[in-house]
Amino acid sequence: MDVRSRNHVTVTGRTGGPVVMLAHGFGCDQNMWRLVVPALERDFTVVLFDHVGAGHSDLSAWSPEHYSTLDRYADDVLEICRELALGPVTFVGHSVSAMMGVLAAARAPEAFAGLVLLAPSPCFIDDPESGYRGGFSAEDIDELLESLEANYLGWSGAMAPVIMGNPERPELGQELTNSFCRTDPDIARVFARVTFLSDNRADLPAVDVPTLIAQCSSDAIAPPEVGAFVHAQIQGSQLVTLNATGHCPQLAAPEETTAAITAFAGAAR
Amino acid sequence: MSRTSDEEGGSPERDEASADEQAQFSALLEDSAEDLYERAPCGYLSTQLDGRIAKVNTTLLDWLGYEPGELVGHKHFSDLLTVGGRLYHETHFAPLLRMQGEISGIALELKAANGARLPVLVTSTVKTSSDGQPLLIRTTVFDARDRRAYETELLRARQQAEEERARLQRLNTTLQKTLLPPALANVPGLDVSAHYHIASTDEVGGDFYDLFPLAAGTWGLFLGDVCGKGAMAAAVTSLARYTLRAAAVYDPDPAAVLDNLNTVLNHEYNGTDPRFCTVVFGLLTPDHDEGGFRVTLASGGHPPALLMRADGTADYLTTPGGQLIGVLPDVDIATTTVRLAPGDTLLLHTDGLTEAHINSDAEDGERYGDDALLDFADALAPTTASDTISAIRDLLDKLGSGVDDDTAVLAIHVPQPPSDEHQ
Amino acid sequence: MTPDLTLRTRTTPAGAVIELAGELDHHTADQVRAALPGLDLHSGQQLVLDLDGITLFDSSGVTVLIAARNHARAADASIALASVPNCVSRIFRRVGLEQVFTTHPTAQAAEAAWRPPSS
Repeated sequence: MDVRSRNHVTVTGRTGGPVVMLAHGFGCDQNMWRLVVPALERDFTVVLFDHVGAGHSDLSAWSPEHYSTLDRYADDVLEICRELALGPVTFVGHSVSAMMGVLAAARAPEAFAGLVLLAPSPCFIDDPESGYRGGFSAEDIDELLESLEANYLGWSGAMAPVIMGNPERPELGQELTNSFCRTDPDIARVFARVTFLSDNRADLPAVDVPTLIAQCSSDAIAPPEVGAFVHAQIQGSQLVTLNATGHCPQLAAPEETTAAITAFAGAAR
Repeated sequence: MSRTSDEEGGSPERDEASADEQAQFSALLEDSAEDLYERAPCGYLSTQLDGRIAKVNTTLLDWLGYEPGELVGHKHFSDLLTVGGRLYHETHFAPLLRMQGEISGIALELKAANGARLPVLVTSTVKTSSDGQPLLIRTTVFDARDRRAYETELLRARQQAEEERARLQRLNTTLQKTLLPPALANVPGLDVSAHYHIASTDEVGGDFYDLFPLAAGTWGLFLGDVCGKGAMAAAVTSLARYTLRAAAVYDPDPAAVLDNLNTVLNHEYNGTDPRFCTVVFGLLTPDHDEGGFRVTLASGGHPPALLMRADGTADYLTTPGGQLIGVLPDVDIATTTVRLAPGDTLLLHTDGLTEAHINSDAEDGERYGDDALLDFADALAPTTASDTISAIRDLLDKLGSGVDDDTAVLAIHVPQPPSDEHQ
Repeated sequence: MTPDLTLRTRTTPAGAVIELAGELDHHTADQVRAALPGLDLHSGQQLVLDLDGITLFDSSGVTVLIAARNHARAADASIALASVPNCVSRIFRRVGLEQVFTTHPTAQAAEAAWRPPSS
């Protein structure tokens, strides 16, 4: 299968520049990076893609059997790297994609110049035995699945006509808004389970490439102590805390996020 | 409204009374924007871009059981949500709102001060400055208890319908399998292969085939298509299958077998719900003198068999005049006899293949057709049974959703004797 | 959305005429079948199926024409087809039915060809 169309891979930016690969998290697609891409394009070759099952990826490539673990997503990342053959990349993984980067870098360190783990969490579920606090319980994840279900009805009916392009931002047109954050409910359900029920704490020490952990100052999904945990587990990693709040600094504070990526990726090459 | 001229002038008393009514009416109307905000029949909430609550109306405070000071400046909007709702908010709601400037009709649950949950529908817009910079987020919150109960019921019904459909599809697939031989008989000196393509698991299709031993080294084979789909078609298919096998034992002459089937179906199904099938029945006899097999084919209105020869040519074995089986009291059946020499392959098919739409978007567009199938066979010959079936499967894959009816194919091939292979 | 099949019936001295236009397939076959019991058709008359407007025809259409034939026979009437389009005659040839039905170029021709039974 053609990897580029399977993952809707787009390559932009400075030809021959150091490569930054941006991986979106659970919920939306590569449009999550829209606000940081223009600035990154000046210095870097920018690789964007959609995880299989999201955005404009080839939905026929998705199956609940194949995409029930983060390993498969990590394989896809490595396949994209091989297909593009652009040399070592700085992989920027947001949220759940941060752990895909961790798994991929452990498997093929030579493919990576560095990892930027943006608002990462290696495990969302609390583990009282080890004293680890991920912030959530398994029941909370069931509640999220209910929210997805409830808004599936909303999407199909009330939602669709209202989501129009923003008049102030004509580039966010109909085509974008129709796909952005809209996922087949069956796929979203499986991806939500993979995202929130995976435990990759034990994979962190295996990372042997330069790593930057960029966490938000107030993030309901990946609280500061989780970022500190990741920092402690990956030897030689750097930790920065952005002023941005929420879980999506690339939307809430694109300049600050771009600056952090640029400083690290520029140094990592 | 029409008035008389007397009334039009009006009296001073009347004017006074009218002004009085006006004032009363006005008092009833919303003359206080603040009261309209505070006690609107929906919740109002303004937050900073990071979600911190800046202003909240009395209606929402009452619903949630908070004092204004407990929320404003202290809590974020997502703090009011259930944990699952907060995840949804962070992963879907907030990104969409940020990118689009508005988001509407999202179903969430709010947590009241006493822990109770309030199902709501939330709509948010981003207020921007004159130069387009986002300033704050305005949110309206509608009580959705009734709607949510209705939606829950809808969801439950949808899930149930999906489960039922899956169950029916499993049942159909199982039933379909029972109408086909689990494995084709092993005929000494013959290579045989078959495939059944299910167009839709929503209904059982009516195609069928079989290959089975008869007396004295002869073999019977058939392939047919019962008109229609669903349980009734499956019943006819089952009846056709065992009638054909029983009739072949009684008298293996192919025309007699089909005549027998015609009598049974015609007797069983007449009136306003006639059932018929088209079928090819073949009798295979080993040709001890020249090698290979002789095959006599009888056709009841069925698409002709294809012969792909060892020399690389291909032709239809036409049986003109054969009539469909089951609806006419006396039916014409056409037969043809051919020798299958070593290296020859015979292919039987149902018209699901030739009637497939080439352009799957068009409902009544161009069909694949008999000529295309002949070209396909011509290119394939010389071939074997298994190669033929695998090529047909590839072809069906290529035609994709254009194949809107079930398709059955059965191929038999006489292998070259082992000694020939070294030549 | 236009209906897939339009069905009109009328009565002539020669017998009932069913005019069919559109798609006669497994989606619409029952519509024709359901119209059969209500026909005004008497012994010795002729049931005419005017197929002039048929654009799509499959094996379910064959079933319906057979059902109409059985219905006419049960009423001791005959049956004829008028204005048979290519998509119908193609399938008729394949399943060997071209000799089974009397056909006429038009419904008028079918009516004109009818002879009252000699009493």
